[in-house]
Amino acid sequence: MPERSTSSEPLKVALIGCGQIADAHLQQIARIRSARVIAVCDLHADLAEQAAARFGIAARYNDPAEMLARERPDVVQIATPAHTHHAVARLCLAADCHVYVEKPFTLTAPEAESLLDLAAERGRLACVGHDQLFDPAWLEVRDRIARGELGEVRHVESTLGYPLSGQFGALVASDPRHWVRRLPGGLFHNTISHPLYRITEFLKDDRPQIDARWRTRPGFNFPTELRVDLQGASVSGTLTFATTIASQRITRIYGTTGTLECELDGQIVRRIGPAPAPGAFAKLLTPWRQRREAARTFRRQLGRFARGKIHYFAGLKSLCERFYDAIRTGAAPPIPPAEIVRVTRIMDEIFETARQRDASTNWGGAERRGSEWKAIARDSRPAAAMRESLT
Amino acid sequence: MMMLVTGGAGFLGRRVVRELVREGCRVRCFLRPSTRIDDLRECVGTRDWHAVETFRGDLQDPDDCRRAVAGADIVFHVAAGLSGGAAVLFANTVMPTRQLVAACETEGVKRFVHVSSLGVYGAGSLRRHALLDESCPVDPHPHLRDPYTYSKIVQEQVCREAFERGRLPLVVIRPGVIYGPGRGLLSNRIGLTLGGTLVRFGSRRPLPYVYVDHCATAIRQAGLTPGIEGETFNVLDDHLPTAREVLAACRRAGRPVRSLWLPESAIGPLSSLYERYSRWSEGQLPAVLTRYRSDAMWKPLKFSNARARERLRWAPHLSFEETAQLSLA
Ligand SMILES: NC(=O)c1ccc[n+]([C@@H]2O[C@H](COP(=O)([O-])OP(=O)(O)OC[C@H]3O[C@@H](n4cnc5c(N)ncnc54)[C@H](OP(=O)(O)O)[C@@H]3O)[C@@H](O)[C@H]2O)c1
Repeated sequence: MPERSTSSEPLKVALIGCGQIADAHLQQIARIRSARVIAVCDLHADLAEQAAARFGIAARYNDPAEMLARERPDVVQIATPAHTHHAVARLCLAADCHVYVEKPFTLTAPEAESLLDLAAERGRLACVGHDQLFDPAWLEVRDRIARGELGEVRHVESTLGYPLSGQFGALVASDPRHWVRRLPGGLFHNTISHPLYRITEFLKDDRPQIDARWRTRPGFNFPTELRVDLQGASVSGTLTFATTIASQRITRIYGTTGTLECELDGQIVRRIGPAPAPGAFAKLLTPWRQRREAARTFRRQLGRFARGKIHYFAGLKSLCERFYDAIRTGAAPPIPPAEIVRVTRIMDEIFETARQRDASTNWGGAERRGSEWKAIARDSRPAAAMRESLT
Repeated sequence: MMMLVTGGAGFLGRRVVRELVREGCRVRCFLRPSTRIDDLRECVGTRDWHAVETFRGDLQDPDDCRRAVAGADIVFHVAAGLSGGAAVLFANTVMPTRQLVAACETEGVKRFVHVSSLGVYGAGSLRRHALLDESCPVDPHPHLRDPYTYSKIVQEQVCREAFERGRLPLVVIRPGVIYGPGRGLLSNRIGLTLGGTLVRFGSRRPLPYVYVDHCATAIRQAGLTPGIEGETFNVLDDHLPTAREVLAACRRAGRPVRSLWLPESAIGPLSSLYERYSRWSEGQLPAVLTRYRSDAMWKPLKFSNARARERLRWAPHLSFEETAQLSLA
């Protein structure tokens, strides 16, 4: 039986779930010296096979339990459909592996808690795929705020543009039986983690006040648009999920003395307010300041491009690296367990609130009560649950 | 006779349906719940529409496949994913094919016509200007190709394995680039489109093209011609246009294409350079262009439709002038 890696060897990483996001994991982990992917697994043999062949991975499996027993990986990256995360992660933790679970961590906060309890019991670490918090642009936001550029953060606006003509969106929209459509929060459950954790990064309350509402675009038979208001003790946030706008990931962070805008696709952070001078001068100084900032950003991006450092999933690499370091050194994990539970709980409340406001809507996931979902989630054994999923 | 056509509402599929209906067959179209059928209905025509039956289902669902195949004499498997990453393409192309083939094995059909692609050949191993015909081997390293071609190669393998088990009366059609109304004449066999400009690699090699109606009649023949089980046919027009002819046709039709010419000899070194850069930068620019892929795509070769003409008793009936005009109207 193969041994786990010793401290001088790269960590042995396995991946479960060879759908769309698996490529990002395999590409980014290949860039990390301290880890190597030793096996991939998917219930659909064709999916495991294509991933293994394209990324030159020797071992491929269709049964997660068999893979865990035979390969004894140190870490498992879980990139299966959301409703299977809990069951698959339990299996991996029980096999004494550390787990990196794609977002959303689990379908409900109690599930998240039970998973993290199990991790603690087995002395293993769990991480959730909140990778955008480790994107170079977001690290710059953190840095500039830490240096006091905005004063105290008071409000965050986070927008996700998600046209349903996109690859995954079109698939979900065209298939009423698609697993995403059957999640408690439907389409939003699979997508709003990213814009939400960009707010909760600053809104630290355990239980903020939440107001949420979803709407259905004409021509669709499931909720497609979501607006959320969050109010904490000192910070508020608004989250907009829109299928009617172009694909984009934009966050605006308003502080007591300034405002920053972060656009993740362009990996750009810019200062947008307030006016640097009163009256007419502001109309000249503002664009001048922005022009200089844009020139600085351009020079920096050019330098990064020349060094081959621009990667769409840079945040994923950075998060995995930090997670693996924590595993090796026993340091605190990059995303604390309590934070994983808090974000999951806020998501639960968002969906519950929106569902209540829209009690008359009758569609897949949203018509189910939270309690029913907990029952379904409890029942789902990894194999059975994964079998339902396509990509 | 009852025919089952998958992908029957698509660009090629609806013309296959039309050809079969014209031949007096009844046709069941396997469609996804979301598939729109307006174009199919228009293509078949209201007069013949009564011969068409639609079956809505999921090709990944064994029960749906079994119910769709039940009672069908001949299956024409036209459906496939055309875009997306490898996982999506495998989910839309390879996995459904497994289910459909399994259903045909259990139900027993008289013929299974599989629409593959001319891209499946390992053209990289051929000499320049060599003849690419049905005797050439399928690419031995499919995972090195673009994800679409990779999925088509594995899809064909799935069908062939069933044939070798002796349980699928298979005929394989490998069309070249299919062009026609709505699709125009341009394709990446000419070169790559970068920021609105077509960068064409050389201009004089014949492009393996087939007009969509020609392709549909060949597929019909592959279903109806007796005694060809196990055979494979490359389906191409008689006159294969060069890039120069394609661009001239576009110009004549009032749709000039902005293009930049690069000598054909530059493709290989450029691809190698790009591939190396992609590796050095750890994928800052993804490895979409590699030496292996560009050899398979742009090496000048000769093509032949002789076997299809002879064995399928089929011939393209329109000239390139006519098909170009129809495609660009
Ligand atoms: N176009 C070319 O140049 C070319 C060349 C060689 C071979 N081919 C092959 O020719 C065939 C037809 O291509 P085309 O050009 O006519 O493309 P197309 O118009 O996109 O047709 C493909 C059809 O497949 C269906 N389909 C895709 N995924 C499916 C799934 N998961 N389940 C059920 N149906 C699915 C689509 O259904 P919806 O209508 O619901 O989307 C569509 O009707 C394909 O097998 C392709 O690989 C094409």
